[in-house]
Amino acid sequence: MFAGATLILAFVLVLLALAFRPRSVPPDERGQTRFWIIGLGLGFSMTILAALLAYGLTVGERLLPRDSAETVAVRAVAERWSWSFGYEELPGHVTENVLHIPAGRPVDVAITSVDVVHSFWVPRLAGKLDAIPGHVNVLRIEADAPGTYDGLTAEFNGEGYEEHEFLVIAHDEADWQAFLRGEAP
Amino acid sequence: MSALRRHRRLTAIWASEPGWKGWFSTVNHTDVGRMFLATSFFFFLVGGILAMLIRAQLATPHSAFAGPEVYNQLFTMHGTIMMFLFAIPTFEGLAIYLLPKMLGTRDLAYPRLTAYGYWCYFFGGGMLLFSLLAGIAPDGGWFMYPPLTGPIYSPGINTDFWLIGITFVEISAICAAVEFCVSILRYRAPGMSLDKMPIFAWYALVTSLMILTGFPPLILGSVLLEVERAFGLPFFQAELGGDSLLWQHLFWLFGHPEVYIIFLPAAGVISTVIPVMCRTTLLGYGWVVAAAVALAFLSFGLWVHHMFTTGIPHMGLAFFSAASTLVAVPTGVQVFAWIGTMWKGRPELHLPMLHILGFFVTFVMGGLTGVMVAIVPFDWQAHDTAFVTAHLHYVLFGGFVFPILAAIYYWLPLFTGRTRFFKLGELAFGLIFVGFHGTFLAMHWVGLLGQRRRIETYDAEAGWTTINLVSSVSSFVLAIGLAMVLLDVLLHFVVAVRGRRNPWHAGSLEWAMPAPPPAYNFASLPVVETRDPVSSDPHLAVRLARGEGWLADPALDRRETLTVEPSSGTPEYMVIYPGNTRLPIVFAAITGLFFLSLLIKVYWLTPIALAGIATVGWRWVWSLAQPVDLGPQEAGRGERLPVSGETDRAPGWWGSAFLLAADATFFGSLLFGYAFLWTVAPGWPPPELLEPSLLELGVGLAGALVASIGMRIAIRGNRSRGTGVAGLAVALTGTAAAALAVASLMIRVPAPAGHAYDATLFVLGGYALFHAALAGLMQTFLIVRVRRGFTSPARRAEFPIVCLWADYLALVTILVLVVAHLPGWLA
Amino acid sequence: MTDVLRILVAPLVWLAAFSGVYGLHGVGCAFGWADVELLSISLFRVALLAAWGAAVLLQLSLIPTLGSNRFGSAAPFVRRTSVALAWVGLVATLWTLLPVAVMSACD
Ligand code: HEM
Ligand SMILES: [Cu+2]
Repeated sequence: MFAGATLILAFVLVLLALAFRPRSVPPDERGQTRFWIIGLGLGFSMTILAALLAYGLTVGERLLPRDSAETVAVRAVAERWSWSFGYEELPGHVTENVLHIPAGRPVDVAITSVDVVHSFWVPRLAGKLDAIPGHVNVLRIEADAPGTYDGLTAEFNGEGYEEHEFLVIAHDEADWQAFLRGEAP
Repeated sequence: MSALRRHRRLTAIWASEPGWKGWFSTVNHTDVGRMFLATSFFFFLVGGILAMLIRAQLATPHSAFAGPEVYNQLFTMHGTIMMFLFAIPTFEGLAIYLLPKMLGTRDLAYPRLTAYGYWCYFFGGGMLLFSLLAGIAPDGGWFMYPPLTGPIYSPGINTDFWLIGITFVEISAICAAVEFCVSILRYRAPGMSLDKMPIFAWYALVTSLMILTGFPPLILGSVLLEVERAFGLPFFQAELGGDSLLWQHLFWLFGHPEVYIIFLPAAGVISTVIPVMCRTTLLGYGWVVAAAVALAFLSFGLWVHHMFTTGIPHMGLAFFSAASTLVAVPTGVQVFAWIGTMWKGRPELHLPMLHILGFFVTFVMGGLTGVMVAIVPFDWQAHDTAFVTAHLHYVLFGGFVFPILAAIYYWLPLFTGRTRFFKLGELAFGLIFVGFHGTFLAMHWVGLLGQRRRIETYDAEAGWTTINLVSSVSSFVLAIGLAMVLLDVLLHFVVAVRGRRNPWHAGSLEWAMPAPPPAYNFASLPVVETRDPVSSDPHLAVRLARGEGWLADPALDRRETLTVEPSSGTPEYMVIYPGNTRLPIVFAAITGLFFLSLLIKVYWLTPIALAGIATVGWRWVWSLAQPVDLGPQEAGRGERLPVSGETDRAPGWWGSAFLLAADATFFGSLLFGYAFLWTVAPGWPPPELLEPSLLELGVGLAGALVASIGMRIAIRGNRSRGTGVAGLAVALTGTAAAALAVASLMIRVPAPAGHAYDATLFVLGGYALFHAALAGLMQTFLIVRVRRGFTSPARRAEFPIVCLWADYLALVTILVLVVAHLPGWLA
Repeated sequence: MTDVLRILVAPLVWLAAFSGVYGLHGVGCAFGWADVELLSISLFRVALLAAWGAAVLLQLSLIPTLGSNRFGSAAPFVRRTSVALAWVGLVATLWTLLPVAVMSACD
C-alpha cells in the first residue's frame, strides 16, 4: 500500500515538473480534456480505487469472526482507568488489567464500558474496537504464540488516558488449563 | 457626470463612518470581509501558539511542561480554534470580500446580516478565548464525545464553553452561507449566466449549500448535549435510554462534510489562481464544476468512516468504505484538471504559484493516506494514533493553509493597491514547506509505531524520542515561516509602493476596479459576455468608471444594485440597501446575552434576552419599510426595473428558503435521532408511552392547515383589495392552535428527565412551539404593517415570505404530532 | 432556479438512496430481520438488493431525462453538467451500495 502510494505521488510530481518544461503546445482543448480529465481524472483514479476497495472488502470479510468450536469467550469491561476481564469458562473469576487467553485459539472478547467511551486495542493481536456504554462489541483476537502482549486504551477518556493500559497473557495449553482450574499461573 | 464626480458621489453614499467608529456601524462587504480575515488570522495565531505548546510538550518523554489537565485543554482548543475560528471564518471573510467584486455587483444580498455574522463570530470567539485564558477551556477533544463530556464526567463549565460558544459562532457560518447562496444565484452582473460565473463563485456556492446542510446536525447535537448537561434531559446516557453513539453520528454527519467545507473554497482559489499564473484558462470548467458538486454530495456519505471502530455491522461499514474511496475520484478529476491547465499554459513561478505547488505535494500525500484509512482493516490499526493526526494535517494544511497563503499573495495587490517590496515571502515558503513535512512525516511514522493521539507524554523505552524531537524542531521551523509571512504582509501594508492595477493580468471582474477597491466596487455595473470579462475588454475598468454600465446614475442618493434571473443572468429587479447602522452589533450583543445567560446559568436573564432578540429583530425588518409605491425605476442603459419590495420573490424570500433548508436539515437530524434511539439505543422501548390524544392531534393538524391557508387568503386579499388583514387573522388563529397543540404535547410528556424517549418528544414539541412563536410574530408584524399602510397590491413582497414560514410550521407541526402519537397507537 | 435543481437532482437521489439503504440495513439488523428466510434466501438480503436495484433504475432513467428537450435545460452548459452529474449519480449508486450484494449482512 505504501509503495503504491509512493508511486502515485511520484507520478503526480513528474507531471507537475513536466508542466514547467519549455514547449509550444498546440491548443487542442478537446484532446487535453479527454486526456487529463477522462483519462487520468476518471479512468486512472477509478481503476486504482476499485482495486483498493475490492481488496479492503475481502480482507474485512475474512477478518469477520466465524463460529468455531475452538473459540474461547471472554468479557472486557472498561472503566476509568482500568479494565476488568471475565471468563465464560471460569464464572465469577475476574482479573484486573490482565487478560488471560490461550495461545493458538481464537478468542472472542465481548467489550463494554461502564462509564465513558474507551477502545480495546492490542496492536499485535488485532485492530481496535470501542467499549461503549450500553453496547457490547465482540472482537476476535488470536495469539499465535504464548507470551505477553501490551494492550492500550485508544479512545481519549480524560485525565488518566495516557496510562490506561493493560496486559494480555497468552498461555500454552497446560498453563491455560491451570488457569481455568483457578490456579494463578 | 464625469468619472471623478461619480466617484465622489458614490463614495458619499456608500462609505462607512470615518475612523474606528466606522467598524461598529459598517455593513459594507469590503470592510466586514477585512474584519473577518483579520480576526480569523488572529485566531490562526492563537491556534498556532497552542500547536507550538503541544509540540514542545511532546518533544521529549516525560516532559514536565504540562500535565494532563492543561494538555487536554491545549489540543482541544487547538483543534477547535483551527476548525471553527480559523478555517471556516477565513472562507467567510475571503468570500465576503471577493464575491460581490467577482460577480460584478456592489454588495452581498443582506449587508446587515454580513455584519451581524461577523459580530456573532467576534463575541463567540471571545467567549472561547476567555475560557482559554482563564484556564477553564474545553478539554474533551475537538469532537467532544459524551459521556466523557456529559454532566457526570465533565461537571465543570469547560464543556459548556464549547457547546455554547461554538453554536454562537456557527450562527455566523449559517448567516454567511444563506447570504452567499442568494448572492451568487441572484446578485450578479447582467449577462453573467451560470456558465460565465467565475469558478470561485461556483465553489463558494457549493460550499455554502454544504454549510446549510452540514452544520445543523452539529448544532442539534450541541443543543441536545447542553440540554442534557443543564437540565438533565438524557440523550446520551445509556442508563436512561440515551446513546452516546447518537452524538458520534450527529457530530460526524457534520464533521466529515466540514473537511470538504474547508477544502472546497481552497480548491476555488486554486482553480482561480492556476490559470492566471499559467496565462491560460481553466481546463474543463464544466467538469470542474461537476466534480465540485459531486464531491459535495459524496462527502455526506462518508461520516461513518470516523466510526469504523464502534462496532457497526460490517456491511454498514462497507457502504462508507466504498463511498470514502469513491470520493477520491472527483478530487482526482480536479487535481488532474489543474495539472492539465498547467500543461496547457506556461506556468510562471510567482509566489502564489509556489504555495500552489506546496499544496499539490502536500494534499496529494494527504489524499493517499486518506484512502488508506478509508480501508476498514487498516483503519482499525491506525485509528486514534498520530498517523491519523498527521493525515488530517496533510489534508487541512495542504488543502487549506497552502491555498490560503497563495490567495493572500495573489489578492494582496487588490487589497492594498501596492506591490510587494521585500522578498521575505519566498524564504517563508521554503521554511513552511520544509517545516511542515518534517513535523508531520515524523508523526505518520511514530503513529505507525503505535503512538496514540492525545497523550500528554510517553515512555523513553517506547523508542519514539528521536522522531518526536524531529517533529517538534520542524514545527518550530514551520512556525518561523508562518511568522515571516505575517511580517511580510504587515510590511506590505506599511511600506510597499503603489502598484499597477491588475498586476497578474487576470480576467475576472474584481480586477476591473481601482485598488484598493472603493466602497461601491463598480461605478456602474458591467455587462458580462464572457467568462473573463477583463481579458476580453482590457479597458473595462475605465469604461465602468465613466458610467457605461448599469446603474450609473447615483442621483437618488441610495445604495442600489440589481438582481438577475439565476440561470440566464437577465436583470430582474433592483435592490435598495439599508445604510450604515449599529443594529448588527447590538443584535449580536443581545444574541450573546442569550448564550451567556445559558452559559453562566442565570436563567432569569434568558427570557429577557429572548424578548430583546424579538424586539431588535422586529426593528430590523421594520426599517425596510417602503411607504409608497415606487413603480419601475431607471436602471441605466435605457431600462426600467421594479424594486425588490414590489415583486413576489424578494431577497427575503430567497433567504428564507435557504434558511429553511438548513432548518429542515436540523429537524431531519432530530427525527433521525428519534428513529436511531428507537432502533439502536439500549433501554428501548420506553417504560411508558405518550397517551394518544385525538383532541390534541385534531387541534394541531387543523391549526397547521388553517395557518397555511390563511396566508394564501392574505396574499389574495392583498392582491385584489390591497389588504390582507382578514387572511392574516385567520392564519394567526391557526398558528395559535398549532402552538396550543404542541404545548399540550410538551406538558403531557410523562417524564422528560426520566428517559430519552420523553426527552426527545419534549424537544420535538419545543421545536414546533418555537416555530409557531416565530410564525405568530411574523403574522402580527405583517398585520401592523398592513394597518400602517406599508403594503399595497404592488408592495407585496412580505406576504409570500410569511407564507413560506407558515407552510414550514404546518409541516413541522404535523410531523411532530404524528411521530409523537404513532407509537402510542401502534402499541 | 430549475436549472440549479437539474444540476442537483441526480446526486440528491443518490444521497436519498444511500441513506435509505443504510437506514434499512440498520433497522433490519437491529430487529433481526436477517434471520427470516424463504427457500434458504434471506428476505432481508432480497429487500436490500431490491432497494439497490430500484435506485439504479431511477438513476438510469435520469440520464436520458436530463438530456431530453422536454425536461432538460435549454442552456447547453446546464444540460451538459446535469447529464454528467446524472452519470455521477449512477456510478455512485452502483459503487457505494455494492456491499449489499457481496458482504455478509449483520456481522
Ligand atoms: C500550524 C501548524 C500546526 C501544528 C504544528 C499542529 C500540530 C498539531 C498536533 C501535534 C496535534 C496533535 C495533538 C495530540 O494528538 O496530542 C494537532 C491536533 C489537531 N490539529 Fe493541528 N497543527 C497545526 C495546524 C493545524 C491546522 C491549520 C488545523 C486545521 C485547519 C489543525 C487542526 C487540528 C485538529 C482538528 C487536531 C485534533 C485535535 C484533537 O485531537 O481534538 N491543526 N495539531
Ligand atoms: Cu471524514
